[in-house]
Amino acid sequence: MADRCVIDGAAIDRPLRLRRSGELWQGSFEAMASPCEILMAFDDRELAQQLLQIAATEAWRIEQKYSRYRSDGIVAQINSAGGHGVNVDNETAQLLDFAYQCYQLSDGLFDISSGILRRIWSFKAGEKPPLAAQINELLPLIGLRRANWESPCFNLPSGMEIDFGGIGKEYAVDRTLELLTAIVDAPLLVNYGGDIHCNRAPKTDQPWRIGIEDAAAEGVGRRPAEQLLAVSGGGVATSGSSRRFLLHRGRRYGHVLNPLTGRPVEHSPLSVTVAAQNCTQAGMLATFAMLQGAGAEEFLNSQQVEYWLRRE
Amino acid sequence: MQLKKQRPSIASLLAVASCSLLNQSASASEDDNNWHVDSALLLYSEKDRVDAVEPVISATRSFADESSLTVKVAVDTLTGASPSGATISDVPQTFTRPSGRGEYITSAGELPLDDTFKDSRTAVSVQYEFPLDRRTRISTGLAFSNEYDYTSVALNATVARDYNNKNTTVSAGFAYADDSIEPEGEIPIAFASMAPAGSEQPRDRADDDKTTTDLLVGITQVVNRQTLMQLNYSYSRAEGYLTDPFKILSLVASSSGATLDYLYEQRPEERVKHSIYWKTKYHRLNGDTVDVSYRYLWDDWDISSHTVDFRYRIPFAERHYIEPHLRYYSQDQADFYQQFLVAGSPQPRHASADSRLGSYEGITIGAKYGYRFNEDSEFNLRLEYYEQTGDRAHRAIGVGRNYDLFPDLEAVIVQLGYSFSF
Repeated sequence: MADRCVIDGAAIDRPLRLRRSGELWQGSFEAMASPCEILMAFDDRELAQQLLQIAATEAWRIEQKYSRYRSDGIVAQINSAGGHGVNVDNETAQLLDFAYQCYQLSDGLFDISSGILRRIWSFKAGEKPPLAAQINELLPLIGLRRANWESPCFNLPSGMEIDFGGIGKEYAVDRTLELLTAIVDAPLLVNYGGDIHCNRAPKTDQPWRIGIEDAAAEGVGRRPAEQLLAVSGGGVATSGSSRRFLLHRGRRYGHVLNPLTGRPVEHSPLSVTVAAQNCTQAGMLATFAMLQGAGAEEFLNSQQVEYWLRRE
Repeated sequence: MQLKKQRPSIASLLAVASCSLLNQSASASEDDNNWHVDSALLLYSEKDRVDAVEPVISATRSFADESSLTVKVAVDTLTGASPSGATISDVPQTFTRPSGRGEYITSAGELPLDDTFKDSRTAVSVQYEFPLDRRTRISTGLAFSNEYDYTSVALNATVARDYNNKNTTVSAGFAYADDSIEPEGEIPIAFASMAPAGSEQPRDRADDDKTTTDLLVGITQVVNRQTLMQLNYSYSRAEGYLTDPFKILSLVASSSGATLDYLYEQRPEERVKHSIYWKTKYHRLNGDTVDVSYRYLWDDWDISSHTVDFRYRIPFAERHYIEPHLRYYSQDQADFYQQFLVAGSPQPRHASADSRLGSYEGITIGAKYGYRFNEDSEFNLRLEYYEQTGDRAHRAIGVGRNYDLFPDLEAVIVQLGYSFSF
């Protein structure tokens, strides 16, 4: 989602944990700065270990490939090309196609070139909002329309940057489930830091029950309360976090930035969780809703999707 | 913000976009229903003339690699009577049937119609479309059609390439067809007199053929999220036997206008056509769709025509839509078109009285109603009325002045369609 980023995974051989929980195998590992979990409804332990390994390898692969902190990755190559075109691989081309579709569908509100706003907007405690001049200086460097994408060649004007932080985690969730369901036809759930995709419920009348962070439960260092969600198939994703806002002279600046104005979206919800066909679609709908600010509920109602929204 | 107005479609557009990103969901769902079938039954009925029944079935299979195969079968049966080319007279007229073995009589004051006209045609085509790379698609196909006295074999290929973030598509294509005709009663000698039934007929050869080459270039542009525009130019060259072996011309006396003889028509052996086609599709924010197109066609027979087509689709009550349709056609005649030949005038190199080569205007007015059962299946019904108004007999001679030599044509079109996936 727009406010999250893929963080460099330094070591690939991070630990994998597998434990039995009721009638499920629960595999877990860390990736993309989030706790990752695979739930598998079958008995075969060896198979569960194998699936967990495949899932982690895929999550780490995507994390590595699309990290904006790595200097040897495709994202760094594009960002440092100095206005020259870069030929990208097929997977990156598909992600760029998708990013462009989201850019168009949101009328420019979802923009993978908006990340440079983080240089001036910091949401750490005690920080001040940037000056108008600082914002105006960056605006000419934001906007996917300024780039030229003719597959397989992506040409980003000098000074602009892109990142796949707004898409990467949901994409990893969907890709992982795809890999796992190709191996075994059993009820599976992939949960990377609250972004979820499952193929079907463990039993017909027994959906998956997943706890998601309740963004309204504030407080630094305190573990937020969880909300229990029942899911029997498809994707669920959440956008928003309570701990990312800026208070300055009594005014609260939300963490969702509008790339067209360079300023926070006003009256955006604390968090939006959406259930949809897959995790990527759910994630985009949640992000689009956040970007609608005060119109988030109206937007979600018109999309006829199931959602959970929190405001102050 | 447009986002707000366009909202109903965003979730579904995101579903499509995310599926294409992931491939897996797209190909998985395609595996579940990868045959899409369109079927239709067309009924066409001209007042006092031709009736046609045409069932069509087309099945498309989509594959995971984004290629698709389409097989289409159409059968049409024509019955009734069509104008022979002879002009109206003040006395009954007797004509020899094309076979040379029988005759038919047209009453005084009536347009001569050849009622032996009955034909059924079967057409089969196969089209394969596949991506060459991420921006280029190729479509290629073969078609075969057969009727009692006519066989056609055709092949085609088109390449389409996307530019400008897929907002612009440029396409180029060609088609080639080889038709052979072996008419009932053989091919008549040009400008020979129609011989009485039972006697020796003025026949030249048993069969002939023609070839047609078409070239097309086009550009499709996404103007904005609601508007799509298309511009095509096509070139078509036909060579060979382009004459209609069943059509005749009346030879009339230069002063009285009385019919003296019937002569077989003759057309040039080559025809080069050009056409420019422009189409715009506009999605209104309220869900309605406007579809407007214009075609200008001209050829070296001196025919030129304008076609304007307008459709307006109004969805209602979720699953229904109604689509009014209006079409206007106007044509200028071929340089060798004549309603009749005049005795004593020099014989032209080419002449035809086929009303389809004359000047006329046609208006189609109608509507289509559709009901969608779900995303993949739909029932629709089209009802249309067509009226053709011919050029009045501006140069009628003698008795011909008493009649409308180019009577109006009225037709009703009914089409039932059903499409589904399995």
